[in-house]
Amino acid sequence: MANSSTQTTLIGSGTFVRGRVTGTGDLEIAGRIEGEVTCTGDVTVESSGLVGAPIAAHRIVVRGAVKGDLTAEEAIVLEAGARVVGDLRAPRIAIAPGGLVRGHVQTGGAGAARPRSAAATATVNRSSSSSAAKPAAKAVLPPLPPPLPPPARVEREVKTAPVVVANGRPAPRAAARVGPPPPVVPALKKGTKAIAHHKKR
Amino acid sequence: MRGRVSGDGSLLIEGNVEGDITVRGDLTIAEGGRATSSIEADAVTLRGELDGDVRARGLVRIEAGARVRGDVTGESVALEEGAEFVGRLDAAFELPAELGGTTGGRRR
Amino acid sequence: MASTVISAGITIEGEVTSDEDVVVQGTLRGKLIAKDAVTVEHGGTVEADITSGPVAIAGVVTGNINSSDRVDLQNGAKVVGNVKATRITIADGAQFKGNVDMDV
Repeated sequence: MANSSTQTTLIGSGTFVRGRVTGTGDLEIAGRIEGEVTCTGDVTVESSGLVGAPIAAHRIVVRGAVKGDLTAEEAIVLEAGARVVGDLRAPRIAIAPGGLVRGHVQTGGAGAARPRSAAATATVNRSSSSSAAKPAAKAVLPPLPPPLPPPARVEREVKTAPVVVANGRPAPRAAARVGPPPPVVPALKKGTKAIAHHKKR
Repeated sequence: MRGRVSGDGSLLIEGNVEGDITVRGDLTIAEGGRATSSIEADAVTLRGELDGDVRARGLVRIEAGARVRGDVTGESVALEEGAEFVGRLDAAFELPAELGGTTGGRRR
Repeated sequence: MASTVISAGITIEGEVTSDEDVVVQGTLRGKLIAKDAVTVEHGGTVEADITSGPVAIAGVVTGNINSSDRVDLQNGAKVVGNVKATRITIADGAQFKGNVDMDV
């Protein structure tokens, strides 16, 4: 009876924990937790799991419902059936079709608990180059007529004549990122917020 | 290419696009493609780079290798492990009643 | 019926309410209300009042135990608190300090 080498804590479907759950080892949640969950191992929210708590762990897999931010050191995986309202932060994040989320999602970076607010306010980094280019593009130029419509470009379900936007000139395509040399989109910086200036509609 | 793009068909981007895009059909940014654009389309598949928001009427797939910065709304948004993404995802759904149902903000 | 297991590395501070069996190998501070059996294994620590069905203790419990059934203190158990139960056993090697009420 005594040997507790299992190291997996199981909150069964008939159990409700109201408070803080912390520690080492893995955690499987098939019941309900309100409060806070911090764990050095893997946390799995089963399809019957109801978690009203932020979760910080090494790896988080969600099949159930979570209201709270998820922060993982390694990865977050939302499987079909997952419903999450909260921010997701981890080096790697996967959301299967059918996994539903509402919140800020950010991959990359040392996933370990970054305060939520950091991302919310960090518009800073990427301003310069791209924003300069933007206003010009938006209003002025009429769309360039497609050069010599090279027909054989693969599309998804074509409704009418597919339009292919190559790089203006027929010649170099995908691989060579020809055109304006300084990349419009610099490598994603950690913590940068989704662009603000673009989406004015 | 720069400017505003709109149309009835589907769109495949293999090069560089700047400017808002609104199409009735599907939109794909191929690997190596890059758009700095707000996008409105049916189904959206991102394999390249996107700096801009996506409003899809259908499914959004962000594949491994994609680099996306912007807010994405769609009927369903799938994110492959290995994709880089910074922004909001907003799916329409309700949490179970025990967690607040028609959810509002986080209330902790 | 499934059971809930609080394993050795985990600490729960708060209330645990369950209609399943609960096994404590880790630490629980607060309150434990279980419809069924509660087992506090060797190495487990409960600093909480326990209200439950039968209770088997080989670990440490500091708190009152209100059981609708039997309470068994095994060798190695250390219990400080009052116990209410229909039956009780205190094995050799168990330590206990508190009142026992068997609803006589």
